Amino acid sequence: MSGGRYRYLFSPLRIGPVTISNRIVFSAHLTNYAEDGLPSEQHAAYYAARAEGGTGLIITEEHSVHPTDWPYEKLIHGFHPEVIPGYRRITDAVHRHGVPIFAQINHNGGQASGMYSRLPVWAPSPIADPLFREVPKEVDRREIAEIVAGYAKVASHCKAGGFDGIELQCSHSSIVRGFLSPATNVRTDDYGGSLWNRARILLEIVEAVRETIGRDLALGVRLCGDELVENGTTIDEAVEVAKLVEEQGLTDYINTSIGVATSTLFMIEASMHVPPGYALFIPSAIRKAVELPVVGVGRFKDPLQAERALAEGHCDLVGVVRGQIADADFVAKARAGFTDDIRLCLSCNQECVGRMGLNRWLGCIENPRTGREVDLPPPVTTEPRRVVVIGAGPGGMQAAIVAKMRGHDVVVLEKESQPGGQARLAAVVPNRAEFGDIVRNLHHDCRRLGIEIRFGVAADAETVLAEQPGVVIVATGAVPAAPYWVPAEASEGGPQICDVRDVLAGTASPSGRVVVIDELGFHQATSVAELLADRDCDVEIITPGMVVGQDLGITLDLENWNIRAAAKGIVQSTDLVAMGVEPGKLNLLHHPTGRNVQRDVDWVVLAVPQAPNDTLYFELKERGIEVHRIGDALAPRRAHAAVVDGYRVGGIV
Amino acid sequence: VKLLEPITLGSRSARNRIVFGPHETNLARKRAISDRHLAYYRARAEGGAGMIVVEEASVHGSDWPYERAPFVGDARAGWEQIAQVCHENGTLALAALGHAGGQGSSAYSQAPLWAPSRVPEVASREVPKWMEPEDIEEVIHSFAVAARLAHDCGLDGVEINAGQYSLVRQFLSGLTNQRGDEWGSDKLLFARRILEQARANVLSGVVGLRLSCDELAPWAGLVPDAAAEVAAALSDHVDYITVVRGSIYTTSAYRPDTHVEPGFNIELARLVRAAVPDRVAVIVQGSVVDSGPAEWILSEGIGDAVEMTRAQIADADFGRKVTDGEADRVRPCIRCNQACQVRDARNPIVSCVGNPSSGHEWEDPAIGGTAPIRHDVVVVGGGPAGLECARVAAMRGHRVSLCERGDQLGGTFRVAANGAGRAPLVALVDWLEAECRRNGVEVRLATEVTAAELEQASKDGTRVVLCTGSTRGRPSYEADDDAVVVAALDFLGGESLPEGPVVVWDPIGGPIGVSVAELLASQGREVTLATPDLIAGNELSRTGDLAPANVRLQASGVHLAKRSLLRRVTASDVEVEDRFTGERSTLKAAVVIDAGYRLPDDQLWRETGERLQRAGDAAAPRSVYEAILEGRRAALAVEAV
Repeated sequence: MSGGRYRYLFSPLRIGPVTISNRIVFSAHLTNYAEDGLPSEQHAAYYAARAEGGTGLIITEEHSVHPTDWPYEKLIHGFHPEVIPGYRRITDAVHRHGVPIFAQINHNGGQASGMYSRLPVWAPSPIADPLFREVPKEVDRREIAEIVAGYAKVASHCKAGGFDGIELQCSHSSIVRGFLSPATNVRTDDYGGSLWNRARILLEIVEAVRETIGRDLALGVRLCGDELVENGTTIDEAVEVAKLVEEQGLTDYINTSIGVATSTLFMIEASMHVPPGYALFIPSAIRKAVELPVVGVGRFKDPLQAERALAEGHCDLVGVVRGQIADADFVAKARAGFTDDIRLCLSCNQECVGRMGLNRWLGCIENPRTGREVDLPPPVTTEPRRVVVIGAGPGGMQAAIVAKMRGHDVVVLEKESQPGGQARLAAVVPNRAEFGDIVRNLHHDCRRLGIEIRFGVAADAETVLAEQPGVVIVATGAVPAAPYWVPAEASEGGPQICDVRDVLAGTASPSGRVVVIDELGFHQATSVAELLADRDCDVEIITPGMVVGQDLGITLDLENWNIRAAAKGIVQSTDLVAMGVEPGKLNLLHHPTGRNVQRDVDWVVLAVPQAPNDTLYFELKERGIEVHRIGDALAPRRAHAAVVDGYRVGGIV
Repeated sequence: VKLLEPITLGSRSARNRIVFGPHETNLARKRAISDRHLAYYRARAEGGAGMIVVEEASVHGSDWPYERAPFVGDARAGWEQIAQVCHENGTLALAALGHAGGQGSSAYSQAPLWAPSRVPEVASREVPKWMEPEDIEEVIHSFAVAARLAHDCGLDGVEINAGQYSLVRQFLSGLTNQRGDEWGSDKLLFARRILEQARANVLSGVVGLRLSCDELAPWAGLVPDAAAEVAAALSDHVDYITVVRGSIYTTSAYRPDTHVEPGFNIELARLVRAAVPDRVAVIVQGSVVDSGPAEWILSEGIGDAVEMTRAQIADADFGRKVTDGEADRVRPCIRCNQACQVRDARNPIVSCVGNPSSGHEWEDPAIGGTAPIRHDVVVVGGGPAGLECARVAAMRGHRVSLCERGDQLGGTFRVAANGAGRAPLVALVDWLEAECRRNGVEVRLATEVTAAELEQASKDGTRVVLCTGSTRGRPSYEADDDAVVVAALDFLGGESLPEGPVVVWDPIGGPIGVSVAELLASQGREVTLATPDLIAGNELSRTGDLAPANVRLQASGVHLAKRSLLRRVTASDVEVEDRFTGERSTLKAAVVIDAGYRLPDDQLWRETGERLQRAGDAAAPRSVYEAILEGRRAALAVEAV
């Protein structure tokens, strides 16, 4: 099978003893699918779905090599032999689709706490990680030997479990990185000081693991090309380490990454605010220095970008993780020439990366199957019905898609001239355009499935009944709801007040001194503030909370938001509750001290909770027809909630 | 002693008035009441609790407030076993039943939250679905089913949660119930219907109500007088009322740490006691952790029983010790909330800094009993790790000497207690010291031990444990020769500071930096707390002190330099860098107090060939929890070869 327009992407490659059929790697990432330290059935189903979807190679999430390493609750404890049956379940499931799978093994070193292990954290030097904030125990020689032996032991478990190769994570969250980096290794013995000394443990581990697995399994080393921290490893030294690894002659490939998973995580799993391919300089530099195949990573969203990275010689393989989280069939669709059918990742980080830090299972904002692969998909219906969906936002479209796939007769009524609802508006602000892909993807699926969407139809009960529905799904979204302190009518000389939606839709154009009130803690306030600052407004964001845009931390957008906000002169003020307006002023209460404060303003823009647009639902309910309500019409929440509601209801009607 | 008198609760009688109240433990396996719960509650039943109310179980599938929140549908086996083990030990066992409503989480259910009205939860900001009438009926019915299950499992009854995190309270309160229908016009209707169902289904068993009697939101919430009326109106349906406080805006008020004096619910309890008939017992909750105040509460007639949950997390044998006249031997709860407060996405298991095996009864070795061989043990260092090591070793029959180079025991923990609002911490090291002396530990104060002595002792077969604590950390900033930088613990230990403004550098965000800044402000100093975080005391959320600490800091005039990295200290000022933009600015400072990371004091360990056993900060400077855990383990380890 040729790759059509993707000549490089679909050329096979040998990695040690393993041959892969294409250059796309589903590289290692946390899933939080482990149960009691063991790989789960969900793990197997998750990886198998990507194997079935045609990925060239799968590298699993990390398996811990030692009890001192337990940084997050749902870690796979590879050092327990009990993991082997779970490994076997994963590898059998993946091999059924003819795809090789490697296991990543690791010790997170000082990038951990003792919360779960109730043991001291181990690291080269007693330097606390800035996220975990726990001073580690400086490992002695005996403990170093124990770590090395742990790698070998886990490698033997992986071999017994049927893996085709092993990857050593020596990059963004690893005790090996800890040793390699001058920022975290201040030892004065044989394991500190010169680069060779700092790399000693890495070479010892490679040797021990190769000794254990023999030559039948591939062995890779993943290196951090730039830690992006003070005094940390940068690309020149990373290249030198890659050369040392190659000279040792025991390793089959080099994988790469950027950043440190705790202090500069926002650059490892960069959101849509960071340009695609931002980390390509790393494999590029390493590939120039070594013969081994090199994997490049860093927000590869579509096969075209991946193809170009290969064609330009930056790397031999391309890691596409989020792209395949969003669409398990990413590779198969590219190979078949149906690139447009790929459900593009938004790089929103809301339900994949964002959930990892919260100790929740990995999902996807736009793919309700992700994280639920172990469950059967909704069954095809035996009683096809006429399903009328009101509203073509993410929830409505998702419900329509599932209902249609199950064999129902589906029509969608949308009052606007375009699909997407609030998601479409959210994408109009600077740096957020990719969010609009959720609308494109869903709309594309609707069209592909032949779902009729009637635009410009403001449905009321009569319109709906005229469709002779078997069942109605109300996905009418939410409406802005002004807080109690907003005067019902604009007061004389008072600041003008509008909702963020008005600004995004262009129905309000604030100017001059603008205060944006952030009660939602997500992109609504910050992105509108940026938009208005770009339009030369003097912008201040005010929140009753302790941080503006608090949840931007979850999606790794907080750092870059703060950098942009400073550059755009946006002022951020916390602990302030809006109390009312008077001519030219906004009255606020500083709640920790009880002080009243004022701002001189021309405009107040509200990012506050909305109200469900549920009139139609209750009208239909009263008429006694079967009606379901999803998304914001049920309770105004984020896009993912709408998609999940749509999937659930579409699956049961 | 009133505390030890039996009490009638409906048809049942508890042997004493010490209640182990419902609380989050994260001991569930998935959502099942588990073997881990059983071990935890067994220890409290054996330890003399009068009544145990098991961790709340969600009654309905729409409620999954935290990942390991028990669910009624997965509770049967655990409830049966807990009922049995409690009854074997003469303890009443009740199920707590609840629904967190709009204060839950959609993260695990992937479904909307249910609430009376469209009021977003404060922390998550999630807007709930306002419940349709059939939703309401469904939840009421699920309380009925749950109550019947509790009865069938052999439990003595149920406690319905209308406390801080509850749908029932959300219906009772104008803050969260803005409905225009019958459920809004009669805000008690939901609670009344549930209590009726509970009563009918628990048959002869006990029905209790956990009631928030002050939502601390007087503009719309339940205020004390109104709550007393609610209690009176619902009293026909219940056998007891547990008086608590707090709601959506006041998450830390329910079980605050040391910064709030105990007894904050006394007046609420009095109001409720006066409002309800004698038949209904009133249980008092709220930082009551010592038997003395508990006895006072009962003797004053403020309430009829006392919920002493944290006290029994700290010491499972609280009831037994009080009964045996050994109240002074109870391991004190110091209200630090550092290990027992587990409402946290990481799912930490409930535990106690003073008693690290609390919550881990299912896995930790017992420390009681006598060692098969009696060793000579030398413990070097009299901080929490050394004290716990010496205490346990001596208790197990070893001949223990504890050498401390200073003139008092307690190490840095005693010093940390000098921080603002942290004085109660001292009780833990005082207790450890007293227990060491009771168990015959030979305490040698002002005693420097040399490596040679330890080598010799070790050769002679003496077991040596190094608990030498920590020392000043490596600065992450430049300091001029004439700059004054004082380590936070040295300042708390009494080191005097030059006159002038102070910058407290706090890269950790724990209690130390905040308490130092507060202390200085109270002494009239001009203080800046510099932190790399966006929030001062960033790590305090677990103890519940995050928001209160920020209020106190601002109210006391502490200047906050957030998102700041300390770069350089001179004799008169400091240079800080904005973490995001790299922009540098200058703050006036005659002295910098460094509340940053410390290093192990491992000199003796290094001088003795890096092979002696270490515990606590001497291995890696961390919190008191790890110190005591490792001290305890080291004491057991002296018995291994």
